[in-house]
Order: sequence, then structure tokens, then C-alpha cells
Amino acid sequence: MQVTIQEQDGNMIATLEGRLDTAAAPETEKAMSPLLDCEGKDIIIDCTKMEYISSSGLRIFLSIMKNTNGSHVYIRNITDDVRAVFVMTGFIHLFEFK
Amino acid sequence: MTKEFFKQVAKPGFMLIIVAALTLGVSSFIQSYFSVKGIKNGAMLRAEGQLEFDRLRIMDVVNQAEAAVRNSVWIASWCLNVPDSQQVVARRVVEDNPIVVGSTLALVPGYDPKHPLSAPYACREGDKIVIKSLATEEYDYPSQEWFAKAIEAGEGYWSEPYIDEGGGNILMTTYSVPIKDKNGQIAAVLTADLSLDWLAQLANNILVYDNAYSVVLSRQGKMMVGPKNEDQNENEKVQTYTTKVERTGWTLSIVIPDDEIFGGIRRVVGMVTILQLLGIGMLILILRFVAKNQMKYNEINEKKAAIESELHIASAIQKGMLPKNFPTSAQRDDVTLYASLTPAKDVGGDLFDFYIRDEKLFFCIGDVSGKGVPASLFMAVTRSIFRTVSAHESMPDRIMTEMNKTIADMNETSMFVTLFVGVLDLPTGRLRYCNAGHDAPLLVGAGVGLLPCDSNIPVGVKASWKYTLQEAPLFPGTTIFLYTDGLTEAEDVSHAQFQMQRINDVAVQALAGQKHEPQQLIDMMTNAVHRFVGNAEQSDDLTMMAVQYTKQQRDVRLLKSIVLNNDIQEVPQLAAFVDEVCEAVGFNPAVTMQMNLALEEAVVNVMNYAYPPGIRGKVTIDASANDVRLKFTIIDRGRPFDPTVQADVDTTLSVKERPIGGLGIHIVRQIMDSINYERIDGQNVLTLRKKL
Repeated sequence: MQVTIQEQDGNMIATLEGRLDTAAAPETEKAMSPLLDCEGKDIIIDCTKMEYISSSGLRIFLSIMKNTNGSHVYIRNITDDVRAVFVMTGFIHLFEFK
Repeated sequence: MTKEFFKQVAKPGFMLIIVAALTLGVSSFIQSYFSVKGIKNGAMLRAEGQLEFDRLRIMDVVNQAEAAVRNSVWIASWCLNVPDSQQVVARRVVEDNPIVVGSTLALVPGYDPKHPLSAPYACREGDKIVIKSLATEEYDYPSQEWFAKAIEAGEGYWSEPYIDEGGGNILMTTYSVPIKDKNGQIAAVLTADLSLDWLAQLANNILVYDNAYSVVLSRQGKMMVGPKNEDQNENEKVQTYTTKVERTGWTLSIVIPDDEIFGGIRRVVGMVTILQLLGIGMLILILRFVAKNQMKYNEINEKKAAIESELHIASAIQKGMLPKNFPTSAQRDDVTLYASLTPAKDVGGDLFDFYIRDEKLFFCIGDVSGKGVPASLFMAVTRSIFRTVSAHESMPDRIMTEMNKTIADMNETSMFVTLFVGVLDLPTGRLRYCNAGHDAPLLVGAGVGLLPCDSNIPVGVKASWKYTLQEAPLFPGTTIFLYTDGLTEAEDVSHAQFQMQRINDVAVQALAGQKHEPQQLIDMMTNAVHRFVGNAEQSDDLTMMAVQYTKQQRDVRLLKSIVLNNDIQEVPQLAAFVDEVCEAVGFNPAVTMQMNLALEEAVVNVMNYAYPPGIRGKVTIDASANDVRLKFTIIDRGRPFDPTVQADVDTTLSVKERPIGGLGIHIVRQIMDSINYERIDGQNVLTLRKKL
């Protein structure tokens, strides 16, 4: 799993690439921790190249959502398979999608 | 309500009284009217009879008196020329006729020049007859009525009655006949004096009425016979009947006081009226009493109807609570179930329940002590506790123990419930069960026999009781038949019971005809009981449940197996394994990804929880398939851990409300068709199945 964080148009963009399974979760979480110090900027998690997500990954997303200080969190371009997982767990209602 | 109702009852009651009173009054009136008329008629007839009788008696005397005189008329006429013969004639008249008290032959004044006034009078004095003379100055007989009027009338004449002072103050009357001489001229008057003292006696000898009296009036209206003064009451109402006596011109009357005639009927009418009034009074009292009772009765009936309707509603609720979706052979290929419950009253204390969770059939049957509303409430509570406890407990003995603690703790009324709890593992046919004082079920498969059951005490009696677990394998085609004592103790009219032997016989019969599918078996048993019971009233709730294990073993081919350490870093190896298996069974990429997700969640769960932290352990994942499904079996040797009893995730909670964690099993359930956990020989065995 590869994580890239950039700033673009006043937003923090985290690009995820690969499989976000339980094995990859700890690393990914660490890599995404800078997002928590976003100082009011909106966060966009780009999932265009994320092939797979399991519950550990969802947990990471959830904790980001919970721990930002008022910033909006958007998720961008999830695949159909990943969307199915969001629906199955009800997470489809928790996040905003772009 | 009371007022209106009272009006409803009072109105007809009123009418009843009025009609009764009118009927009585009118009929009484008619009766008394006609009675009075009849009595009056009767009195009249009697009086007239009496009058006639008296009149005839009087006439008799009158005729005698007249005859006395007439017989001597010719000799009197002849005596006119014989001096001093007048007195002889007179004497003869008196002598010959005992009723005559005096007689005189008085000459017309101046007829006999020698004796211008001559009236010798013969009268009785004691036994003798003496002759007196009436020709005195004081008496002046020519002007006396008996003399003058006879001559005036020219024929027999009865004088007005008079008191004869000379003769002892007796009432008298005189019959005088003028005597003609040879030349046809009236020369004398011959009389007969009649004492009337017999008249009073005769007239007052009224036989028919005690207080009636007679009145005899002379021609001129003088009273000859009348009531004694005490008898007379001027204001008294009387009935008077009158007849006339010929010849003398007297009027003979009978006077009867109304009281004498009508007294009797008046008293009767009075009594009857009083009785009628009493009767009406009693009628009113009775009606009031009836009305009060009727109101009370109606109130009770209303209450009763209210209770009955509530019971009907309660009965409907109870029926509604029982599960109805029996798994049939059309819906499931591993188990078929059927049950029936007939309460003895509207609501009852028998219960049964079943549901399938994670490839296990949870079922129970029970009987609350008692009947009716209390038992039905207890039954409802018991059932709901069964559901709650078995949601997180899969072992029947633990389910029973926990149910028992809860129920015994809240049991104020010393009720209890006999209960049989069973958990049938559908993939393997392994039946785990626990019996709390309930009738042992019948196993109908290879033969017919009782399922061996430990005798635990019923639920609700002792909070601390530890229930025992029992196990038995069910071979495909075997039916467990469960029932309550409403079946064994079903009574016919002579109070003989259905008993276990008959249940056995029916089961044997069903098995022989291969009719031991749950609904068939229960129908057969129901018919048998109905035939046995006949017309007797159902004495207890009748409950039956039958579970048939139908799973046919399919050919299974083991595909692959992998053993991992409890290290989440080995998850990619799991992914590769799953990809291979899915390809082998022909799943498309999307499904394969889902399989990956499910397996990852399940295996990671095991890795995290099965072994104590820090301990290395192995996790085995087997994949096998038959012609309908793919099965993954995850086995570890860690501590007993049943992931299926975790509460399902509430995916409707918002971000803030969501706990972090708990999603894993939820995802597995969503993706896999079934998830099943067993603890076998010290191993956790978690089975995930997916239809092909």
C-alpha cells in the first residue's frame, strides 16, 4: 500500500494505491497521520487506485473522520468493489464522496 | 346508564302493574256488579215469596172472617122480626168462629120503633161470651165507621183498624155486612170484629232475613204493623217490597235493610279489594326486586363480556406470538419443522419456539404450571427470555441455566415451567439439548424410542441449579417429536388418558408408512387424539412440535488447505489462497474480492482473539466444495471463542456514535451465505459457506 500526501488548492490530498488490508493497515495509518494536523484545510482521500479495503482500513478512515478539528473529509473515486464494502457496512452514509 | 336502564325496566313494569290493576279492578267491578244485581234479584224473589205467603195467610183469615159473617146473613135477616134474637145471631157468629172476638147485629136507627137504637154485642171475655150493648150515647154506633160505611157501601165493608180501648188496647178491625129485610131495605149491620194481634206476629215472622221487618198499612195508610222503634234507623238504606191485600185494602210490605241483603257481598268485595291491593303491592315489590336483580345481572354480564373480549384479544396476541414460518422441504434442504398449539382456554401456558441462526436451529418446547391468564403471561416472558439468552448463547445447558436464573429471580408467584431446549447444528446433524423437567421427546428414525434425557428440575424453581448438557447425533431422515403433557394426559369422557403408549403406537405407524415428516406426523397424532378424546372437553393445552433432519450428505471435494501463524502479516498469503480457491470454483473477480474480504476479516478475528497475546498459534483454513456451495473452515486450537455471538453492528449509527471495531463479523455475515461456529475436541471451528 502506497500513501502520498499533497496539498492542492488549499486541500490536503492523500492518495492511496494498492490493497488496504489488515497487514497493510498499521503502516498506512502511520503514513496518514499528518492529515490530522491539517489546520482547518479540507481533506480529500483519493481512492482511485485503491483496489481493496477491509475493516482495518475502514477503521483508519473513521478515526481520521473523528479526529479532524472540524475539517471536512472527502473520499474520491472509490471503485465499485470498494463501494460495495462501504454500503455493506453502512460507511456509505458516514462520508462525503466527491 | 342506571337511569336509562331503570326506565327500560320500569316502563314495562309500570305497564304490568297498571294492566294488572285494571284487569283486577274491572273484573272485580263486573263481578260485584252482577253479584249485587243477582243478590238483589234473589232478595226480591225471596221477599216476594215471603210476601205472598204472608198475604195468603192474611187472606185466609180475612176470608174466614168474611165467611163468618156471610154465613149468618140470612139468619140475621130472618131475626129482624124476632125480638131479642139479635144477640143470638151475634153470639153465634162469635161462637162459631174462634177468630172472631166480637160481633154485633146493629139495627138501623129507628127501624124497630120499640128500640130505635139496638146493637147487642157479643164478645169474648176469657172463656165465656158475654153480651154487651153498643147502643150507648157515648158510643153512638150509627156514626161509627163500621156501621155507616157498610150501609153506604151496600156490601161487605172492612173498616179501618182501630185500637179498642175497651177490649184491652188491641188493634182491631171490623168486617160489616149490611142486612136487608124482606123488602130489600137495609135494616141492620152484622159485624165481626177481628183482633189483629196475630197480624203483627204473622207479619214479623219473616223467615228469610234476620233484620227485615214488615209493615202493614191500612187502606188509609195507617200503620197497623211496623218495626219496633229500635229497629228503625231513619238514614238506613232499605229495599222495600210491597203487595196489596184484597178485600181489606191493606198494603203489606217487607222492608229489608240493604246491609242485610248486601252486607255479605260488601264484606266480600271489601276483602277482595284489600287482597287485590295487597297483591298489587307485592307485585310492585317483586318488580322492584326483579329490576334490581336484572340490573345487577346486566352489570355482571357486561363485565363478563368485557373480560371475554379481552381474553379473545389476549388469545389472538398469544397466537400471533408463536412463530409461524415453519421451514419446509421447499425452503430448506437440511431441516423441516412443524408445530401446533391448541390452548384449553382462550389463553394458555404451553409454549414452543424456534429460529435458525448461523446454521443452527434453536428450538424449545415448554409448559408453564397452571392455565389461563397467569400461565399465558409467564409463557410470554419465558419465550422472550429464551430469545434473548439464545442470541448470545449457543449451548442449551448454558441457555437453560441463564434462563433459569433470570426467571427464578423474578418469580414471585412460585410458578415454574418445564422446558426442553435443543440446538441442532444443521451442517453436521449434531443435536445438543437440555431437558428441564419436561417430557422426553420421541425419536422417530431407525425405530421409535425416547431421547434419553437427564432429569433436571423445571425452570424457575431454584435460581442456582446447574443444568446438564446432552448430545446426540441425528441421522438424515430422523424426526424428533416433542410434546407437552396435554398430549399424554388428554382425557376422554371416562377420564382415561391418551398416554405414552398410544403416542408410541402412532409414531410406529407413521414410521411404517414413511409418513413421519413433521406435518404428517403431527396431523396423524392430532387425529388420533381427537378420536380418542371424542366429546370430552379439552382439559389441558395441547402442543406438539416435530423437527426432521433432512440434510443429505453431498459429495465433497477438498480443494485446498493452508496453515498460517497468528500473524496479521501473513494475511497476503491468505489472499493468494482465497484467489486460487475462487478461481477453481469459477467465481468472478468481484465475488472473489468479497471472498477475500470475508476470509480476511474472519481469520484476523481468530488471530487476534483465539490465542493469548504473545502466544504463537496456528490457524488452519480448509476450503471444500460440493455441487451447491463453497465452504471455508477456519480451525484453531485457541481458547473457546464464538465470533457469531457478538452483537451485530448497528450500521445506522452516525460517525460520532460508532464504536471503532466490531465490523469484521458483520462484513462476514453480509458476504457469506452462512456462518457457523462449533467447538469440537478443543478446537474452534468456524465454517463459512457461499452458494455457488
